[in-house]
Amino acid sequence: MKPVGVEKKRVDMRNRRIAFIGVVFTLLYAIVGIRAFHLQVIQREMLSERASGEYSKALKQTGKRGTIYDAKLRELALSTNVVSVGVNPKRINGDKKPALAKIIADRLGMDRHAIENLLLSKDKFTWIDRSVLPAQASALQTQLRAEKITQIEFVPSYCRIYPNRTLAAQLIGFTNIDEKGTTGLEFQYNECLQGEMMYWSVIKDAKGNIINQDRICEVSHEGNSLELNIDTVIQSISENALKRAVEENNAKSGIAVVMEPKTGAVRAIAHFPTFNPNAFNSSPSENWRNRAIADQFEPGSTLKIFLAAAALESKLFTPDSVVSCENGRYRIGRNVIRDTKPHDDLTLLEIIAVSSNIGTAKVAQQIGPAALYHVLAGFGFGERTGIDFPGEASGMLRDYRAWKPIDHATIAFGQGVTVTAIQLATAVAAIANDGILMKPRIVRAIRDGNGNIVRSFEPEVLRRVISSRTVELLKTMMLAATEKGGTGTLAVPAGYSVCGKTGTAQKLNEAGNYQHCEYNAVFAGFAPARAPQLAVLVVIDEPHRHHYGGLVAAPVFREIVHESFNYLNIPPEPPVDRLDVSGKAFRRGA
Amino acid sequence: MFDRQLLTYFDWGLFTLIALISGIGIIVLYSALNGGQPAQVHVLFYRQLIWLGLGFCLMCLMFMFHFRHIIRWAPLIYAAAIILLICVHFFGKHVGGSTRWLPIGPFSLQPSEPAKLVVIIMLARYYAVHARTSGMTLKDLLVPILLTAIPFLLIVTQPDLGTAGIILIIAVTMTLFAKIDRRTAVFFIVLAIIFIPIGWKLLEPYQKERILTLVFPDKDPLGAGYHIRQSKIAVGSGLLLGKGYLQGTQKMLAFLPEQHTDFIFSVLTEEWGFFGSLVVVFLFLLLTGFGLSVAHGCRSSAGTLMAVGITALIFWQTMINIAMVTGMFPVVGMPLPLISYGGSSILTIFLGLGILLNISMRRFLKE
Repeated sequence: MKPVGVEKKRVDMRNRRIAFIGVVFTLLYAIVGIRAFHLQVIQREMLSERASGEYSKALKQTGKRGTIYDAKLRELALSTNVVSVGVNPKRINGDKKPALAKIIADRLGMDRHAIENLLLSKDKFTWIDRSVLPAQASALQTQLRAEKITQIEFVPSYCRIYPNRTLAAQLIGFTNIDEKGTTGLEFQYNECLQGEMMYWSVIKDAKGNIINQDRICEVSHEGNSLELNIDTVIQSISENALKRAVEENNAKSGIAVVMEPKTGAVRAIAHFPTFNPNAFNSSPSENWRNRAIADQFEPGSTLKIFLAAAALESKLFTPDSVVSCENGRYRIGRNVIRDTKPHDDLTLLEIIAVSSNIGTAKVAQQIGPAALYHVLAGFGFGERTGIDFPGEASGMLRDYRAWKPIDHATIAFGQGVTVTAIQLATAVAAIANDGILMKPRIVRAIRDGNGNIVRSFEPEVLRRVISSRTVELLKTMMLAATEKGGTGTLAVPAGYSVCGKTGTAQKLNEAGNYQHCEYNAVFAGFAPARAPQLAVLVVIDEPHRHHYGGLVAAPVFREIVHESFNYLNIPPEPPVDRLDVSGKAFRRGA
Repeated sequence: MFDRQLLTYFDWGLFTLIALISGIGIIVLYSALNGGQPAQVHVLFYRQLIWLGLGFCLMCLMFMFHFRHIIRWAPLIYAAAIILLICVHFFGKHVGGSTRWLPIGPFSLQPSEPAKLVVIIMLARYYAVHARTSGMTLKDLLVPILLTAIPFLLIVTQPDLGTAGIILIIAVTMTLFAKIDRRTAVFFIVLAIIFIPIGWKLLEPYQKERILTLVFPDKDPLGAGYHIRQSKIAVGSGLLLGKGYLQGTQKMLAFLPEQHTDFIFSVLTEEWGFFGSLVVVFLFLLLTGFGLSVAHGCRSSAGTLMAVGITALIFWQTMINIAMVTGMFPVVGMPLPLISYGGSSILTIFLGLGILLNISMRRFLKE
């Protein structure tokens, strides 16, 4: 036994050491406590947010895009549920990539090497396919889950589908991969069609499995739907007729516009050549344009109708007023105007029917530039119609005070002035509508996801352009133009009467003059003559077999009108002379 | 052999504290294991219950006899532990890149866990005789260094840096407690400074990354930094009062790695918040305090040293585990005493606590 004093000293020292350890341990615990305090109380917001970021991915997604319906609620454009499949290549083990590529390629029916290249890329994230059918995607997902592969992402999304393929393609337009409208109605009404932003959270576990999909009611976030005035059947009739004419005449392209005169409702806007909006990239981009609205051309003789309207409105002329047509040559200043066939004296009615340039020029000279200009401007030439479509051209109609005498004369028969197809169709429809100009409309109504009407577009009257009396006289003249002796006889379908006017507009060649130039063959008109149901404009661009509007465009008009009337159940008219009591108004020219 | 009088000295306070912490442990473990499917009870939960029961039995067994018998048999126990560690190298199960487990029938033993205790006992035995008031010199330390180095090297080559490290740190704590000559201390400090760059080179790339992650946590959030980032998020998102029992989202969706073993503290903090973690830290502090008071009360040098060693074991494991989970220490395999899942770890801690109770209840008995 050691002495007690030494022992006590030793124990004291030992106890001091124990106390020291106690202090050190307590201090270290305090540090841990402070750290916990720091993480949980001071940094809490950041870390807490990060935690919710880990498991609940707040997916921001737009709701389903609205559908585009035609006038009879047939679908023209709709969105379907698909799955976008993407991958985080960096997170995949290198030697697993070939096997994974094979699985994906087999399930999605894609090229294995293309997928392998995607997997080998250095990107943080890349899409594999953004429009996988839900069934395919879930099959792939099941297989991947079984193989414990978690780096493939499945994001529900939508794919825009145009079930009628090329039908009305330029009109409807298309969306990009993100379902944002880039052309046509898809662009014009993008905000309306677009679904609302849906913030829905998927809760995922660390392996990327979706535990809980907290999807809010999708319908309420669906975009609005469009209801068009376009009728799929009339559109298809127009496109078929147009296609045939363009191909038969070896033309460059063609446009047809069908309108309802009373309301300004656009029933069809047909183009040829066309494209498939489901695969718009496989067609040249010039085919995507709605040329009926965006492109302007010289209307040629079709504009003579409006000169006639100006002449009648001026009260200086009646359909029977006689004008000398100078036997085919008429000099204005240094320029000479020619007719295709020389004529001597013609009534105003006959000038329109045989489409005499000299006669038109002389009538224009008599009524003066102001009268012509005001009627043309009144019909809407030189300004946009305001149709609900993007990229509308205004056409060109210079102010009459800037006209030289020769301009005045040529504008009267449709040269030195440009119009758009929709302008010309609207103007012709105004004649059919008793002289009242309507605003052309493509969209009839906007409905929400539940089918309730959000907004409907009533027919909109722009103005009265000419008097009813003038209209009556003008219609007689336009009727004469399609009857025997007129240029537009081929426009008349059996059983119906047609008011119309042909046009063969020269196109400025590259040198800027009309020598050896190409032509536009045009026919503008409406039917039935007495109670017009449809106004139709046909433009065939650069036909090569024939180039006269009466030979190239008029048959298209006839086909469209005939088949559309069959479809619309518009009965054939009884022969005119038996019904017509006034006699005079419908008398045919000599 | 068993003195009835001992019951009067039984340390009920320490016993209650142990029961309390293991109670909290099993409750947290239930949540950690049943994140995904709340309906069914995980099989590991039942296993842990068995381990706990076994642990309590072992603990009771450990205070049945006088602790001097442990000291007496220490060399034999030490030899057995070393043999087991050598066996691991030859017959061990290779799991996840390291060989730590020795299959024994249906169970697997991790000999490195009890090796911690064995080193404590052996060092206590040595220092009880060789410690001197003037402090030990290098010569005195040769044997303890050897005693520590053998299991350390056997474990570090498994490789199990965490367990090897804890053995080292316990040995250092005990040695410092036993008092070391000043010049020798300076020598060791210089040696340690020299060894740091060499040690860095010896580390595996993944171990280096773990240390680097500590300094630059956002360097590679999906790779090396994943554990620690997720864990910090879990701890941090617990806020003041936590998300509620069984409500932890990080845990529920298995974002937390090793959430029932080494990272269980993050489950606790996520669900019980700052308040809950503070309570648990306080309970561990209390446990450390009890341990030191046992050391203080013991009249035998070996007993005091053993108590200090066991307290150091519990303290350092707790400290390193929590520091690791809160992103202050590199990720090493370090279970949280009494709370983390794992048979070997639980049994080792209970053995140690049994010895602590043993020393405590015999504090008035003379050697």
